[in-house]
Amino acid sequence: MRTAFSNALVEAATQDERVVLLTGDHGYALFDEFRKRCPGQYINAGIAEQNMVGVAAGLAKAGLRPIVYGLSAFIPVRVLEQIKIDVCYEKLPVVFTGDGAGLVYSTLGTSHQSFEDIACLRSVPHIEIMSPCDAHELTACMRMALRAEGPVYLRMGKADVGQVHASLPDLRRGQLVRVREGHHPVALIATGSMVKAACALGDELAASVWSAPWIKPLDTRQVAELAAGASAFVTFEEHSAAGGLGGAVLEALSETRPLPMLRVGIGERFSQTCGSYAHAMREHGLDLASVRERVLPFAARWKAS
Amino acid sequence: MKPSFHPADLRKTVVEMAFAGNAVHLGCAFSIIELLSRLYGRHLRYDETNPDDPMRDYLVLSKGHGVMAQYACLYELGWLDRKDIDNYFHDGSRLKGLSDAHVPGCEVTSGTLGHGLSVGVGLAMAAARKKTGQKCYAIIGDGEINEGPIWEAMLFAAHAKLDNLMIIVDANGFQAMGTTDEVMQLGDLCAKFSAFDFDVLPVDGHHLDAISAAIEALEAKKNGRPKALVAKTVKGKGVSYMENVNAWHYSRLTPDLYVQALREIEGAMA
Repeated sequence: MRTAFSNALVEAATQDERVVLLTGDHGYALFDEFRKRCPGQYINAGIAEQNMVGVAAGLAKAGLRPIVYGLSAFIPVRVLEQIKIDVCYEKLPVVFTGDGAGLVYSTLGTSHQSFEDIACLRSVPHIEIMSPCDAHELTACMRMALRAEGPVYLRMGKADVGQVHASLPDLRRGQLVRVREGHHPVALIATGSMVKAACALGDELAASVWSAPWIKPLDTRQVAELAAGASAFVTFEEHSAAGGLGGAVLEALSETRPLPMLRVGIGERFSQTCGSYAHAMREHGLDLASVRERVLPFAARWKAS
Repeated sequence: MKPSFHPADLRKTVVEMAFAGNAVHLGCAFSIIELLSRLYGRHLRYDETNPDDPMRDYLVLSKGHGVMAQYACLYELGWLDRKDIDNYFHDGSRLKGLSDAHVPGCEVTSGTLGHGLSVGVGLAMAAARKKTGQKCYAIIGDGEINEGPIWEAMLFAAHAKLDNLMIIVDANGFQAMGTTDEVMQLGDLCAKFSAFDFDVLPVDGHHLDAISAAIEALEAKKNGRPKALVAKTVKGKGVSYMENVNAWHYSRLTPDLYVQALREIEGAMA
């Protein structure tokens, strides 16, 4: 996924001289290729994220196409106000990329773990939120993000959980992408790193699995149509169960087709212990075994007759 | 023909709109009147018929609380009309109490302090990259310098060698709750800018010719160093009962005080 990201950056910058990449002194090896190929379009703004976002706003206002890179704990959470006032209020075309979202920085602790970024941004007008599940989806998302008229946040989680798509998916703005067919009355909707786990459970249950590359906008008509053919949904995200994908789906259906939903995500807790990514996922009940324990009994209530 | 931007005219407009809107922040507007008068009247390059001209110099009002002073200039330019002044703060009107980038002629949304300067740095940087010759003047308050992003922006501007950027400090010595010394002492601002690799000059922020001379002296040096003008100003300048009285950060005009303010300002016109 990181290679795909690096490639997408180089592609964007070589095709459009207005593209500039700003980083808050992060992404050491990640930008080697970019710096080699597009040195004039690379700006290390230092460990000063608030200024970086303001500068990006100024660059965008003057006609450039800034891509702001940071860890998702900082971009967008630390700079939420700059994103709101300096960028979103004027609908400036700035692409924010938040790397290491979720529990990726399992050993570094709470400061670098990031599971409130989607919730923070969902209430800010004019910004799109993308959350690709693998390298193919990331490449497709980057292309859409760079063509967007306004601001976009692109969330990147654990990079090496494996491919979901066999090739570049055909993405439509705001739409879910079906990645598994199924006839179970419970449909599974997942985003980012959790799509792989949803696929594994989808295989076990013979349930359909949908990837959500967009959290915002979310095509509410598509979600309602999906709800019309299902008895219940399960949503999966490496993000707070409050205010993320699950919340967005729930809200999308609340006026049209309310549906029982199990929202798998991070609960009302910070990480208590240190360890590997797998350990952190277990601690928060997001590893496959823990998720299975929650999803199977829920799905059994709507077992196909 | 360019308007005159006479300081007394600008102050009159500010008083009129503040009274019409029962608005606050008069003191913050009055301290930057002469600075804006000279920037709009002499130093900024812009197309009088088009606030969005892509080749304009940028005036970033990072201390958004002084926005009525800028509105007064935009009114002189005809970018705002009399209705905007007379209906200030009325339901459905377009001018707010802090700088707002949706207003023609306002570059940034500010007042949440420490935002505008960074955007100004980005504008200056874009101009430098495209070699357009555009300049950016960013007006910050001395109280605003409490904000961390101001220091981030200074570091970055010097590192990026943006000599087309000029930070203008409205050093009126007050912030919301007291003097800058009482709240968060700033020490020697000129020394601080120098230490950050800026070319810096102090100036009497109410002396028109001194302001222009200082701006020209700073801009004469195309040396890769960003510029800073530390303008010593008086909060509430121009109306006797407001000068250096910090209550005029928040106070509203009564009919009597309104008449007195107009009388003093019109006296200065004569």
